[in-house]
Amino acid sequence: MDYDERIEIALLNSIYIIGVVAFFLLAVYKSPISLNPIYIAFGFGFTVTIFYYLIKKFFPKGDIYIFLILSFLTEIGLIMIYRINSELALKQVEWIAIGMILFMASIFFFRFYEGIRKHYQVLLVLIILLFLVTLLFGTEKFGSKNWIVVGNFSFQPSELIKILFVMMVSEILTRDKTKKGILKVVGITLISLFFLVLQKDLGSAFLFYMTALIMIFVATSNLLYTMFGFLGLIFSGYMGFILFDHVKVRVAAWLNPWLDVPGRSYQIVQSLFAIGYGGFFGTGLGLGHPEYIPAVYTDFIFSAICEEFGFLGAVAIVIVYFIICYRGLRVSLKCREEVYSYIALGLISMFGLQVFTIIGGVIKLIPLTGVTLPFVSYGGTSMVMSFITFGIIKYISELGVEDLWEKENEIYKLS
Amino acid sequence: MYEILAQILRFVLVAFIYVFLYNIVKIMILELRGNIGNSEITNAKLEMQNIIYNLYTYTTLGRAEDNDIRIENQYVSSKHAAIYKRGRKFFLEDLKSTNGTFLNGKRIKKPVVLRNGDVIKVGEVELKFLLDKR
Repeated sequence: MDYDERIEIALLNSIYIIGVVAFFLLAVYKSPISLNPIYIAFGFGFTVTIFYYLIKKFFPKGDIYIFLILSFLTEIGLIMIYRINSELALKQVEWIAIGMILFMASIFFFRFYEGIRKHYQVLLVLIILLFLVTLLFGTEKFGSKNWIVVGNFSFQPSELIKILFVMMVSEILTRDKTKKGILKVVGITLISLFFLVLQKDLGSAFLFYMTALIMIFVATSNLLYTMFGFLGLIFSGYMGFILFDHVKVRVAAWLNPWLDVPGRSYQIVQSLFAIGYGGFFGTGLGLGHPEYIPAVYTDFIFSAICEEFGFLGAVAIVIVYFIICYRGLRVSLKCREEVYSYIALGLISMFGLQVFTIIGGVIKLIPLTGVTLPFVSYGGTSMVMSFITFGIIKYISELGVEDLWEKENEIYKLS
Repeated sequence: MYEILAQILRFVLVAFIYVFLYNIVKIMILELRGNIGNSEITNAKLEMQNIIYNLYTYTTLGRAEDNDIRIENQYVSSKHAAIYKRGRKFFLEDLKSTNGTFLNGKRIKKPVVLRNGDVIKVGEVELKFLLDKR
């Protein structure tokens, strides 16, 4: 067995052990012992193994570790969600399975992207169409009008638009890096921001803006554009503060959460209490009180992790996110084709910024905005689209150059 | 009872989260050093003009000095092609060479799987792929 294969087995083993230990605890947590967690633990381990070997068999090139790291994160999320609300966890299991299937599907189908690159304007039409659909048929949930509900199935189009947006910006920047191209990117960003602000989804607006800014900087390495970009960010942030009441509430809760604890800053204060209560090693699984935190299984799941896995566990999660971003940037750097390199960069910046926004929000580093913690939070759209994002990154990693190393070759003559 | 169990097992959980982390970091370090298995000798060999070369997990073919297998021929590009192992299979990939890489007479566009006895043509030079099944 190769050395890297041994590490992969070690990674799989720690995923199994964490799953078995945590779900064993959850099984004996409530007095009639429930066998469901045990089934979930074995089912999850089995699914990860199957997909790991399928990916190794069908897509052996590129970055295989990405999948294992993502499985680890989904597992931590699943443990937390089961602990908070066991019914939601069963749904989450379905979403994880669908996500993993779509992960493989997107590795396979992204090769056809090359074919539609000539007609890349379609992407813009799709983006605007999706925004219009959200605007016309959207339903308001959790303060943002960005959900489409059909029957008992709800979907967040902005998650899909993120990917399309990155593709569109990459296409433009590959073709044209002059002022005209930059203006086009700015135009598309402003259109997206306009719709996102109409939906009151300011967290996503921030992600789109910053991603466009990062991609322009990487494509042109022009500090002037970047400076203008940051000035624009400060200006639009200030405009948002003046125009929207809920931004004022969030900023006030961020600056001093102790002024209005039972009211406006209830969420953030509960989150801070939970994080503080956790300490270094956490309270132990099932011994904290995540039920006091509102929206704990979506936006505030990180506080619950802090509480029950402690500071050490939470730091490990943050490091895992860092490593994912590192791997994504590595894929982007190694890719020889410019447009795919930009797509990988854009997707990973969007992902990294989203993680920063929500973790920063719940620990009161920056004002709170409602975005999900990818792969950990409960939520179908977020889970599925994050897996598709990384399927695309996996495909791009297959295009990348392998490292070339100097080494001595043993030569012996045929006798 | 549950409390004691949970308080003991929380250390186990955190410990294994860090075991996971340790292994990922190990991969990162190996990748940065550049020896993640790329220089291990495999069970496959390449025959060129009656000389047998060992294949590594990743082997480059070309005219330049720093290739694993150097082929001196005017129709060979400096970094012409690569053969690498993924799982148990060996793949041949053309590294955007000028004159192309041929497998059993057909020019390859994408990485292809190699079988024992396959003939690879690089420039004007023919190489034979030998897989030792043990």
